[in-house]
Amino acid sequence: MNVRRLIGTAGLAGAVSIAALTSGCATTPGASVAAAEEYLLTVTRPGQLHVIDVDTRAIVRSCDIPGKFGSGAMTVAPDGRVAYVLSNMWEDVYGFDVRNCEIVFSARQSAGDIKVKSFQSLAVSTDGKELYTVQNPVRHLPDRLEVLEPRLAVFNIADGLDAKAVRTFPVKRRITKIAATATGEVILGGADVEAVDPRTGATRVVTALANWERGPLWLPPDAFAMHSQGEHVNEYIMPYVTAKFDSEEWNFDTAEWWWGMSRVDLATGEAEQMEIFPFEFIVFNFITDPQDPNILYGSFNTLSKHDIAKKETLAVQDLDHTYYNLNISGDGRTIFVGGASSDISVHDAATLAKIGSIELPGDMSTSDLRIARIRN
Amino acid sequence: MKHLKSMNKKARMIDAAVSPAEVEEVVAMQTVVGCTATVDPGWEIDPFGGLGSLCQPMEADLYGCADACWWPAQVPDTMSSYPDWGQGVDKADQDWRKLDGIFEDND
Repeated sequence: MNVRRLIGTAGLAGAVSIAALTSGCATTPGASVAAAEEYLLTVTRPGQLHVIDVDTRAIVRSCDIPGKFGSGAMTVAPDGRVAYVLSNMWEDVYGFDVRNCEIVFSARQSAGDIKVKSFQSLAVSTDGKELYTVQNPVRHLPDRLEVLEPRLAVFNIADGLDAKAVRTFPVKRRITKIAATATGEVILGGADVEAVDPRTGATRVVTALANWERGPLWLPPDAFAMHSQGEHVNEYIMPYVTAKFDSEEWNFDTAEWWWGMSRVDLATGEAEQMEIFPFEFIVFNFITDPQDPNILYGSFNTLSKHDIAKKETLAVQDLDHTYYNLNISGDGRTIFVGGASSDISVHDAATLAKIGSIELPGDMSTSDLRIARIRN
Repeated sequence: MKHLKSMNKKARMIDAAVSPAEVEEVVAMQTVVGCTATVDPGWEIDPFGGLGSLCQPMEADLYGCADACWWPAQVPDTMSSYPDWGQGVDKADQDWRKLDGIFEDND
């Protein structure tokens, strides 16, 4: 399929800095199938967590989230029973039992004259005992704002309501999505993909992006993860855009433009990095097919399907409007495209054809679209 | 830029600020998250020089820009400064007319 023909030839002249970035998702084959209960979770304005039955596509229950809206970022406990939601202007975390809306955990990160924001960064340890956030604190003084150093905060989930961080460790700036590995580390998506040990604070580079060393013919990647949602296949994807030039003159018109990704295996904490298909349209978020790690889906103004071994786009489906993110049922057959506005677009994974819609009472804005699988 | 000539003091200052060394310093800011003073291209033109990869329609993306403080110059910052701007307007594509501008000091 000639994607360039579908979307129109959009010359890349002048696209020196690609400011349109993406976020990733991931998948891992084994943990995907045969859940006793499978729910789609998202958050809408003014502040509700919606629990949606994947099979019937009906809203089963809606949980009121304390505080003002923001951001709707969410991570789900490994057993699928509790969803941790970032709320109240990107500051507080609330944990909801998705079976009855009971709030079983809360943490207010701001205190006194220090405002703390977390930019989408939430993760739960694989044993379900610890919650991680990256905190970006700013002291509000009468005459100025004092920007303080960012840090990883560790909470004991067993502390329940009004939990306080039990450990903090310095981390770099620019961190958005994070994820916990089975090896006990926390993946940090920033300028590079790093990992921090939440017991000691030791960090390592998992895969370099801003600091990669590919020589003078490669454009430093423009990488960003706003909605990485790879828990269904135990992955973390950091997508990026780069260009390969034909000379050190860096002619942007003749360069090869690529989508790429750093994909972290959350079982091992190791990553692969590769170019995956030509950069011909914007994708804001990727997920891996739970049945085939070679197949990726992406969403933004289109829903698209990609064979990353062949570096080809297999199919493109126009969407009714912009959607920031997407997720997929455990059997790999149904794709849910959400974020941004107030409806989730439902698609057949084989053909990408639209097969349904889930209307919500408010805009999802920056909220995540997660799948919770509860095994009885 | 090489075909443009600075005509006044401010323009010359801008020229001076985009020396190669200065450009290197701002590379780290090409990822914009949280409130910043930058004006990130995206509302006017997409990376391909066209409009097809901008968010469509603008209303679908409105809160995504405000809640993340992504474009604080274009829409109110609901992350910190104007958290109630969208109060009562839960669906921007339907009720965008109810969204008002920001008027400091009750001007």
